[in-house]
Amino acid sequence: MLALLTDEQRMLRDVVRGAAAEMGLSSADLAGADRGRGWAELSAIGVPGLRLRGATGAPAASGVEVMIAAEELGSRLVPLPYLGAAILPVELLALAGAPARVVGPLADGSTRASVLLSADLGTFAARPDEGGFGWDCADAGFALGLVPAAAGWTLARYGVTEVEPLEAADLTRTVAGIAVGERLEEYPLDQDGVDRWLALALTAASADIVGAMRGALAGAVDYSKDRVQFGVPVGSFQAVQHMCAEALVRVEGAASTVKYAAWGVDELAVPEALLAARTGKAYASAAARDVLETVMQVYGGIGQTWEHLAHVYLRRAMLSAQVLGDERHQLAEISHARLGGR
Amino acid sequence: MDYRDTAQEAAFRAELRAWFGQNIPPGWRDVIEDPAGRTEFRKQWHRTLHKAGYVAMSWPVEYGGRGLSPIFDAILGEETARADAPPLPGNVNFLGRAMWTHGTEEQKKRFLPMLLTGDAVWCQGFSEPEAGSDIAGLRTRAVLEGDEWVVNGQKMWTSGAHAADWCLLLVRTDPDKPKHKGISCLLTPMNVPGIEARPIYLANGEPETSEVFFDNVRIPRENMLGHRGGGWSIAMTTLAYERGPGDTGFVPKYQATLRRLEELAAERGRLADPAVRPALATAYIKGEALRLTVLEQLSLRVSGQLAGEEGSIAKLLWADAEQSIQHLAIELLGPDVWLGRAPQRLSAYLSSRPVSVYGGSSQIQKNILAQRVLRMPRA
Ligand SMILES: Cc1cc2nc3c(=O)[nH]c(=O)nc-3n(C[C@H](O)[C@H](O)[C@H](O)COP(=O)(O)OP(=O)(O)OC[C@H]3O[C@@H](n4cnc5c(N)ncnc54)[C@H](O)[C@@H]3O)c2cc1C
Repeated sequence: MLALLTDEQRMLRDVVRGAAAEMGLSSADLAGADRGRGWAELSAIGVPGLRLRGATGAPAASGVEVMIAAEELGSRLVPLPYLGAAILPVELLALAGAPARVVGPLADGSTRASVLLSADLGTFAARPDEGGFGWDCADAGFALGLVPAAAGWTLARYGVTEVEPLEAADLTRTVAGIAVGERLEEYPLDQDGVDRWLALALTAASADIVGAMRGALAGAVDYSKDRVQFGVPVGSFQAVQHMCAEALVRVEGAASTVKYAAWGVDELAVPEALLAARTGKAYASAAARDVLETVMQVYGGIGQTWEHLAHVYLRRAMLSAQVLGDERHQLAEISHARLGGR
Repeated sequence: MDYRDTAQEAAFRAELRAWFGQNIPPGWRDVIEDPAGRTEFRKQWHRTLHKAGYVAMSWPVEYGGRGLSPIFDAILGEETARADAPPLPGNVNFLGRAMWTHGTEEQKKRFLPMLLTGDAVWCQGFSEPEAGSDIAGLRTRAVLEGDEWVVNGQKMWTSGAHAADWCLLLVRTDPDKPKHKGISCLLTPMNVPGIEARPIYLANGEPETSEVFFDNVRIPRENMLGHRGGGWSIAMTTLAYERGPGDTGFVPKYQATLRRLEELAAERGRLADPAVRPALATAYIKGEALRLTVLEQLSLRVSGQLAGEEGSIAKLLWADAEQSIQHLAIELLGPDVWLGRAPQRLSAYLSSRPVSVYGGSSQIQKNILAQRVLRMPRA
């Protein structure tokens, strides 16, 4: 047993970290942020295509690499749709055995897509033929919906006819109502495939939350070392130290559950993979609010302002917490898995 | 001890109910939604309240108050919330106290009446970019030139500055003295040359506070409140009264929020939810702890004691109550809050975060309690 990243995984982390530092948000450019900036670079690193299947049918990278990318990019609030419009639709199409002609352009970053979700983003859209809602779906060129079939499910691919963005809390990602045209293609998908996808999607959203918490906490800690009141850095007050230490405990607790889930995406049997993913999601979602509120508190007044990134982190993490079920939903599923009954 | 209204209090309460029944401007919420109409509406409402005799119940009669006990202010607050009337003017009581405690006869005659009638709106210029928790570190300078103080520097977090006519301004007049002793307080008109107020937008996108720049602003010498070097004690009185939620009308507002959440839980069919019921009950008991603590502190004042360090207890109970009720609100609404379908709820939640920062952060309040009430040793 060993819960450590490999050398290659640490290299990937450093590469993505470097890119994230370049393309992340800073307070000043929030309003006029060029959301397309960096997409080419992310595609070159291979982020959209992490889950593309190779000749053997194995994914280019495991759930752990997805987690690494999501954490690093989340920690800098990178406002690009690599999860919702790339990694997640690639995975769903790959699980359904869609051809390279469809998956390839998503994986190399030249096209984007969105999975159709319910109005609260908590599950799949119930009637995807009538459209649905997309998370992190900027510039989605097509949409994917899950329709019940005689045995399992049918994954349907649609053209997008209309996109109506919501005024969601997250300022870095697009959430939108999506209207669709006729089904373009259909692929069969069994329940295990759906659950595997859920495990990856939940883990990716959780890793985004962990990244947001890490990035925000690191900023607050740095600030507390520089901000002087009463002649000393505010970080020297035990009250401030304990707030930050408490936050660190929550972040690391979340990160560990999400790391296990990320490994489990490809290595555990489906029910265990899903349980691990829900565990990470529930833990990270609950920690997010506490940790990001602590971050705002450590900054004092400045952390309450629009221009400051503290609330941008909070908004993003809380939106990610809603994706495919918030904490309440995950706890209900976890108790069902462990205790039975409903 | 008697938690019931006295006959006089009951009569006052009945009178207020009748008056609110007749006088609440319909649609006032929509009016104050709009920042442009907000200031004028607030002034107008202040005047209306004043004409009816419902401002400064507890001020001494010689300063234009009604000389009643602070319990009457509390009743006014309760009935305001009960009637869903527009909020009372926020800073009148603690500013008034600063003025009648520290002002000269002439200053009291000049400033107290316009504070009462609502003809002058005030803001509080204490904090600076480099002086937040450590207010005594403030650097805005005032230098005496002839009969005028010349002020240069920057204030931050001066809430309401853009709409204010006057500012209770703390300045450094004596940089050579120890830091608490070199501070003075100037009653500063906001319409003089050299003052520029810029809005600060908070996390909910609202311009709820301001930063203010002073560039060779000239203030007549007689506008100093109290004596030169006496600014610190004025700041402390003001903050002590500002901290008590009894003075800021927080308790009734909280109760109104709780009632709205109870309705919301009913609308959403969550009243039978085993997680929601105890949460609503907890919100109720937090409100009661706050209400009764504040009542006790007001009662002490009735018996002649001044607000002191125990105000920090009320401030901490307030911050906890407000922040946890907003947590409950966003939990009740779930994803709607984050998906843009309940913008007021998101805004109210974000507005609850600075409650543990303004008026002295929660960490500072705990320091006060530990060091000055519990008399624990400093590190
Ligand atoms: C919405 C809003 C409205 C406001 N309105 C006004 C107003 O009208 N007038 C006015 O003058 N001011 C106002 N303020 C300013 C407010 O009083 C200050 O923000 C507050 O005192 C904290 O100062 P700071 O923001 O500089 O934080 P800092 O003092 O820099 O604090 C940073 C962190 O360090 C902690 N800390 C600091 N010192 C200690 C210590 N000794 N021990 C333990 N922890 C410590 C704090 O708790 C905080 O977590 C307002 C602020 C806000 C956010």
